Amino acid sequence: MNSADLLALRNPVIALILILALAAGLIYYLDQSLTAAKRELAGQQVQLREARTRLQKSGDEKQIIVRYLSNYQYLQRLGFVGDEQRINWLEGLRLSNQQTQLFGVDYQIGAQQPYPYASELEPGQLTLQQSLMKITFRLLHEGDLLRFLGTLAKQGVGVFSVNQCMIQRIDTGGSIRFQPNLQAECELAWITARPAAPGDKKL
Amino acid sequence: MASKLLISVSATQVCAARWQGGRFATCSVFDNSEEGLSAFQEYLAQIRNLSVHMMVDAVEEDYRIELLPHAYGSERNEMVNRKLKQFYRNTPYCSARRQSREAGKRRDDRYLFCALTNPELIAAWVEAIIERGLPIAGIYLLPTVSQGLVEKLEIDQTNLLVVSIHSSGTRLTFFRDQKLRVSRLARIDLAGQQAIEGYAEEISNTRLYLHAVRVMTLDEQLSVLIIDREDSLTKLAQAIAQDSQNIECRRLGRQEIISSLGISASALDSSSAALYLHLLGLRAPDSNLAPADITQRYRQHQGQRRVYAVTGATAFAAAAWCAMSLYQIFDTQSETEAARRQTAQLQAQYQEATRQFPAAPTTAENLKRAVDISQKIGATTRSPEPMMRLVSQALDRHPAIVLKTLGWKYDRTDIDAEPGGRTTKPTAEPSAPPIAVGRKQSGLVEGDVRPFRGDYRAAIDEINRFADTLSQQPEVAEVRVVKMPLNINPSLTLSGNTTESLEQTGRAEFKLLLVLKQS
Repeated sequence: MNSADLLALRNPVIALILILALAAGLIYYLDQSLTAAKRELAGQQVQLREARTRLQKSGDEKQIIVRYLSNYQYLQRLGFVGDEQRINWLEGLRLSNQQTQLFGVDYQIGAQQPYPYASELEPGQLTLQQSLMKITFRLLHEGDLLRFLGTLAKQGVGVFSVNQCMIQRIDTGGSIRFQPNLQAECELAWITARPAAPGDKKL
Repeated sequence: MASKLLISVSATQVCAARWQGGRFATCSVFDNSEEGLSAFQEYLAQIRNLSVHMMVDAVEEDYRIELLPHAYGSERNEMVNRKLKQFYRNTPYCSARRQSREAGKRRDDRYLFCALTNPELIAAWVEAIIERGLPIAGIYLLPTVSQGLVEKLEIDQTNLLVVSIHSSGTRLTFFRDQKLRVSRLARIDLAGQQAIEGYAEEISNTRLYLHAVRVMTLDEQLSVLIIDREDSLTKLAQAIAQDSQNIECRRLGRQEIISSLGISASALDSSSAALYLHLLGLRAPDSNLAPADITQRYRQHQGQRRVYAVTGATAFAAAAWCAMSLYQIFDTQSETEAARRQTAQLQAQYQEATRQFPAAPTTAENLKRAVDISQKIGATTRSPEPMMRLVSQALDRHPAIVLKTLGWKYDRTDIDAEPGGRTTKPTAEPSAPPIAVGRKQSGLVEGDVRPFRGDYRAAIDEINRFADTLSQQPEVAEVRVVKMPLNINPSLTLSGNTTESLEQTGRAEFKLLLVLKQS
């Protein structure tokens, strides 16, 4: 094949290259469009399955609402579901101190943060948060600690778990007067739950 | 079948026919003269984009059978080209075709060399075609085209002589084993019965010639095929059959030509070369006389056609692919739309169903989960009471131990304490499973031994016994002494006073770490 032969092939080859480029571009574009369409279909089918399942389970859902609504409302009043009720916690501390006849409670509440054991509780669409409260108070004897914690739990001001306690003997110099002999320092985790997506709420 | 222009050139006339759809309607005939050439050029002016196949019927031709050593590829080409140059120095129109292999030991290849020895005969016509810009696909000798006739009629006689009457004379072409061996054009300017006798004589002469050049002997049977397109050679066939021995004669009449070869009557009548043009249109022979510079435009034309064919195929494939993709996209979109409609319908039904539900602040799932989670938190909440009870019971059994600090922690990690120290594992359940990774209760007991009068051995023994007492409790997973009154680590400095006194001297302080089993 000489240069004249090659020259004669110039226009056909240019046409071939143009067609190849056009074909490749079209095929790529349509492939992308098809992929997007399939993705959209898959998403829509998931929604359809969910809608079908939700409709099928609507009877069960009604039963669940009937069964759990009162408990849920109690948890709302308790302060477990919804926003933090810090005023209620402090009121609970004050009342517990009074009722157990202790010598006052020092407290410090940290910033709200995600509850570290949430995954063990399978929260679903609920968001679990905790606020760590450090309390320091003095005791006549070690039994006062348990009494105080028990009284605080019965106040109904929220859900908490005791993470840590430290009891130390206070040097009283051998006096037997009505005075504190021990100092306790505890860390409580006040736990709250909140539905993550407000759009899911059914009024 | 591709359209093409078929041209036959003889010493007297030139015929041209447009091959289209596997046949041609009629031939245009031009005299082989200046006027004829001008008319031919006018004819060509109307032709566009057709490749040209040219056939030459002339006396100035040559056929040679040569045996060459069997070879392949470029070696064979070089050898054949060398022979062509050797045989035909004065003409560019020559070719060689390998016909068969010899049966001898050397197994040589048998080649048919042929050439148009007078290139001037077609020069003006070829030039006219090239000037018009039409690509010349090939130039062939008429006898090589008649090879197609033998194949088409499926004639299997060993020695076959094809006789046909043309404008330029009587063409006698001999085939041995269905392969072209030699051909000659004889001029017979007679008419009527004399012409018949003249043809018969030429056939007889040809037979003698074949015998002389040792192509066949006179004893061998010769088959003569008379191409009689005008049904005027009936007597010739009879004459040959009566007068000659060892000759088998067959006449191919007009009707038989039309029916067996597929040529139309009008085309057959238009020229004496029409039948061979038809054969050329059906299949071009391998013996192409045209040199490379003549067929250059055809090669380019073919190359362009191939690239355009690839382009067309690519465009078609791409279009088919795009059509398929578009169909799939529309199909998928319609399926999505159907799913969307169905979802909306189900959601509407669900909304209708939820109107029967009691008013709730959140979804049923959230209601259930919130309640379940609160119960789980309640179940997993721990109090320091068990730890305090354990320590209290142990203290009752060890009055010399005085407690200063009691720590308790419920977490994945143990309560902070100094690392190291002696570990006392409980002996009650030696095969207890390892502690799983999870929250556990741990405690820190800080105290001292009283009274302490400097007897470290007794104090340490008391602490160890206290630790043993704790570790024997079934709830305890591990007890670790993290601090002793006296650090006997050889790597540290140790100093003190051994004076004994009844009073308290110094302190025998210790720290114990307790870990309870997970519950």
